[in-house]
Amino acid sequence: MFLEQMINGITLGSIYAIVALGYTLVFGVLDIINMAHGEIFMFGAFVGMLIVSKTGAPLPVAFLGAIAVTAAMGLLLERFALRPLRGRPGASHLASLISTIGVSILLENVAHKIFGAGNHIFETTFADIGFRVGPVTIYLVQVVILLISLLLMAGLALWLGRTRSGKALRATAENLETAGLLGVDTNRMITATVVIASAMGGIAGVLVGMAFNYINNQIGLSMGLKGLAIIIFGGMGSVYGAMAGGLILGLSETFVVAYGSSGYRDAIAFIAIIVILLIKPQGLFGQAPAEARR
Amino acid sequence: MEWLNPYHLQVASFMLINAILGVSIYVTLSTGQLSLGNAGFMGIGAYTAALLSTQHQVPIPVGILAGSLLAGAAGILVGIPALRLSGVYLAIATLGFGEVLRAVLINWESLTGGAVGVAAIPQMGRVILAWAGDRGFSPESLGLQSNQFISLAVFLILLLCTILTVAFFLRLSRSRVGRAYAAIRLDESAASAAGIPVTYYKVLAFSQGALLSGFAGALFAHATSFVSPGDFTYHRAVEILVFAVFGGSEHIFGPVFGAAFLTVVPEALRSISDYRYILYGLLLVLMMVFRPQGVIDPALLRRVRRSGKGTPA
Repeated sequence: MFLEQMINGITLGSIYAIVALGYTLVFGVLDIINMAHGEIFMFGAFVGMLIVSKTGAPLPVAFLGAIAVTAAMGLLLERFALRPLRGRPGASHLASLISTIGVSILLENVAHKIFGAGNHIFETTFADIGFRVGPVTIYLVQVVILLISLLLMAGLALWLGRTRSGKALRATAENLETAGLLGVDTNRMITATVVIASAMGGIAGVLVGMAFNYINNQIGLSMGLKGLAIIIFGGMGSVYGAMAGGLILGLSETFVVAYGSSGYRDAIAFIAIIVILLIKPQGLFGQAPAEARR
Repeated sequence: MEWLNPYHLQVASFMLINAILGVSIYVTLSTGQLSLGNAGFMGIGAYTAALLSTQHQVPIPVGILAGSLLAGAAGILVGIPALRLSGVYLAIATLGFGEVLRAVLINWESLTGGAVGVAAIPQMGRVILAWAGDRGFSPESLGLQSNQFISLAVFLILLLCTILTVAFFLRLSRSRVGRAYAAIRLDESAASAAGIPVTYYKVLAFSQGALLSGFAGALFAHATSFVSPGDFTYHRAVEILVFAVFGGSEHIFGPVFGAAFLTVVPEALRSISDYRYILYGLLLVLMMVFRPQGVIDPALLRRVRRSGKGTPA
């Protein structure tokens, strides 16, 4: 029982981590909270669902479709809702918050218009395949989710740490103007960041569909809020904080539901951030007194 | 008197409640603190008033007062630890407060009725009609039907509350307190160096905002006679923020205008109801792209005032 819950928690946590990474990448580079990320994530889930259930295509195709659509949405988001605000006098950090909230309201209602309000079944062919390891049953779906998440996180960490473009991205995050002076095409880096973050949201969407077997037009909001809580908990803009925060939240939610009351499940994330903000306001992995970040 | 139908009056009443909510976030914003917890404080006010009047038969004005004060006290409790946070951190921590509060409202069923909420809350208009009816008054003597009279009474009470609220905070902004708020918003360290007790004023502003949200919530409970946790969600918190940012957060008329306009727009777009929130989202994006400081800013007000005096703008 304990081990099974442990596995459930890690599976859920790795999805949370992927959602949170989408927020943290954009915040790291732009100092903007992308409130539309949850809705982009939801579109990824719906595109994956449509491809799997309507065309019967295999799962990798669903992932590719979701990535393509959400990446395009990220591109549009950056081009029309973020770039016009950048570097404008009088545009406070509230402006980008509101414009991304506008995009999220828009997308949520477009999804409502297209897909309706009800639940949609997300069927995977291998949903029931499980195998026993000692006393524990592990489902193949869980293994696939975990593998994809780990690959994604490792890939992101490698890209950011080891490649030229990753370095350019970190430089842009460090200081936009200086990076620009040193020859980094900052506009391109910002666009790349938003597109990559959105595509990761799309992947997370398909993973959620696989994990829960149903999706609706509200998952964007609930996942989005949890993703926000995780990046605060782990430290704004910190990639490792997002990963650790996601896993911690996934595990604590699973165990609270298993051994306590399910009613407060969705509040755990926020209780956690209120506690962490009082003890260590910069978050678990945040840089110490980050005056410049505020 | 055809236009004076309950539907129009209800939309107008929601405009006024939203205007008070807009002022509530404006007050905290005027010290540079962005709070997304106002939906939660609104919930405290609404539930307090609702439960006092349904379970303890407390008179409505007392319940509204109690709800506002309790929300204000909660504001002090949240505001003091919140001093350590700023910017988006504060925004998300206060959003978290709202979500936790909503979870409590849903789960504490013995007190709050759970997800179903509290129904049959005495409605202000009906109570006034019953009171006046006992004294031999009938709405027909004014040429009104009783449901028209009820809605009109609610509207007038809310109008009075809104005018008083706006007048109070307009006066406040020209007082010592208001100047302290403005100084803190512009530069906290400079304000502190100039001898302004920053901590005191920030907590004061935060709890004033909370108190006003609670006030609006209590009025909401007695205007609709039904509250549920679903009324105080993330969507409400964002809606309140949008009132201030869309209307303009540099002058008190900004959030009031924002609240009124953004309440009417979705109603006016009812004929294309399938698309109205899509348009609403689009409107927010366009607004931020073309006028990020909000519709109403001090420059616009100066221009209006000057042209009002007949001098060329």
